[in-house]
Amino acid sequence: MIKIFIIIFSIYSAPIVFSAESAPCGDYGECDDYSYDLYNNESLQKGLATYINYCYGCHSLKYSRWGRIAADLEIPEEILFENLIFNQETKPGDLMTGSMIKRNAEEWFGVAPPDLTLVTRSHSPEWVYTYLRTFYEDDSKQYGVNNLVYPGAAMPNVLSHLQGKQVLGCKEVPVIASNGGVKRDENRNDITEEKCGYLKIKESGELTQAGFDSLIYDLTNFLVYVGEPAKRDRERIGWYVIFFFITFTALSFLLYREYQKDYH
Amino acid sequence: MNTVFKWFNDRLPIVNTFERHLSKHPVPKKVNFWYLFGALASVVLIIQIISGIWLMMPYQNTEEGAFSSIEFIMRDVDYGWVIRYMHTTGASMFFAVVYLHMFRGLLYGSYKKPRELVWIFGMTIYLVMMAEGFLGYVLPYGQMSYWGAQVIISLFGAIPYIGESLEVWVRGDYYISGSTVSRFFALHVVALPLMLIALVFMHLVALHEVGAGNPEGIDIEEHLDQDGVPLDSVPFFPYKVLNALVGIGVFMTVFSIIMFFFPEAGGYFIEKANFEEANPLSTPEHIAPVWYYSPYYAMLRAVPDKLGGLIVMAGAIAILFVVPWLDRSKVNSIRYKGIFSKIAISLFAISFLTLGYLGTVPVTELRTLMSVICTAIYFLFFFLMPIYTSLESTKQPPERL
Repeated sequence: MIKIFIIIFSIYSAPIVFSAESAPCGDYGECDDYSYDLYNNESLQKGLATYINYCYGCHSLKYSRWGRIAADLEIPEEILFENLIFNQETKPGDLMTGSMIKRNAEEWFGVAPPDLTLVTRSHSPEWVYTYLRTFYEDDSKQYGVNNLVYPGAAMPNVLSHLQGKQVLGCKEVPVIASNGGVKRDENRNDITEEKCGYLKIKESGELTQAGFDSLIYDLTNFLVYVGEPAKRDRERIGWYVIFFFITFTALSFLLYREYQKDYH
Repeated sequence: MNTVFKWFNDRLPIVNTFERHLSKHPVPKKVNFWYLFGALASVVLIIQIISGIWLMMPYQNTEEGAFSSIEFIMRDVDYGWVIRYMHTTGASMFFAVVYLHMFRGLLYGSYKKPRELVWIFGMTIYLVMMAEGFLGYVLPYGQMSYWGAQVIISLFGAIPYIGESLEVWVRGDYYISGSTVSRFFALHVVALPLMLIALVFMHLVALHEVGAGNPEGIDIEEHLDQDGVPLDSVPFFPYKVLNALVGIGVFMTVFSIIMFFFPEAGGYFIEKANFEEANPLSTPEHIAPVWYYSPYYAMLRAVPDKLGGLIVMAGAIAILFVVPWLDRSKVNSIRYKGIFSKIAISLFAISFLTLGYLGTVPVTELRTLMSVICTAIYFLFFFLMPIYTSLESTKQPPERL
């Protein structure tokens, strides 16, 4: 029996069984870490502002309603209407259907820009956070940019004036030996080799790198919120429900033990 | 009050039925946790029916409305997300408890004489559940609903002569469309639930006729007291009800943790691609069935020929029906069976879980090879059962529980 288990487990531990998946963030490899914070209304509000100013022109949020966002993010409706809603006929209960006509969009971009209400759910927050920060200059493309996470993305980098011009460059990286350690020469210096495909800022933009990362953090945070507005409530209510069932289990166990004495 | 009750009881067997099936129904006094999953399955069935009724109210069974009505439920219906996650978590948990319930049956020989019919009704429930789960998965009309349905319905096309027309008949169209959604809706919410409820009723009536089994696999009816009640039994109420309540409490805690904190269960309960609306023009990178079908999907992919794969897949389920006649052992429970049965059931469990994993990941040569090996083990477990169960030496079970 034990031999059988050893054989089975050694097959499972072979990396080849697990290695067929492509990396979650395309050519970039593993996505950057991201953890959302749905209780940070300031971040969500900033994310909403960035979304409306830079993304909403092309990407609708058609399952979401203006009024719900204003209420959840604690934005007074006057402020919402003054600063973020540009169509005078919009009502708070309206869906955020965007303003671009699908047929025009297809003509302009080849494909209509997708609705992004559920983008953090169909991909992941990590994916969105990484994708938005990995555009680089590429003259062979229609809009002069390409993306490491989603190569061939048919989208111009609308945030480039904030981030600056990013290019793919090369850099010296330590050579890794087959045992996983860094190779060193006889003077105990790391041996390095030139590897390419790394992102670097060629010409800085209006924001510092940290400032830009924080902008994208807020934008992604907002998209996590809009992907599931009930998430905050869900996690809050969940604790009560779990507490109820734990109490229920404890009480029924005590009762069960009491009755079990009858036949033991 | 009493006269009113008596009036009814004279015309309807209220007291009799209640005593026979609930209050006085004798159940073995010593069973283990494996015997809880039947009760848990009925709890999930009730959860599914109730949440399903509420989901049906705002859901739109049209090509245009299906996907957006789900988002409407998630956002605009008060506590709609609770109802929806209850239903999606319930679907997976239903299969989880039913798989454990079935494995209990294999472990302790719950299918053996006189419980063959209980087993067969149970297997039919499992079969109907698989259909029910598939139909329900199509209703949100996301990318995985669409392409999953595409794969499954195209299997009908592998049947010689009638295949292609059968495919069109099932879809109600030449491709998956609003007609498919609306007919799947009708089947999912009316036809199959009716069958399920009827089958669960039969499963229970048959069970109460022959009595519940126990982990020792012995017949408690052989030792009766002067009233004809088995000495090793306790009445269902309150003893077994309280036992079940503890199990239900633990189960519902786990259920709530998933439902409120991990409703997608890492893409296994709700797949990521299903957050994109169905698009006939774009195939998802990787089509994987939900986890509870994946062992059979791995078998399907292990066979290079489509019709062959279909036969293997159908055979894998069909063979479960005849298990009562494949097991020739003198004893019921794995506790007293010989070493061959123990090895066989371990290998079977490992290969079924492995197939489950293989069915969710993209194919490689090594994985296909592993699927073939595991499929072979799966079938050999059943094909060789008459041989190893009759040849091996068994231990003598005790007289009493």
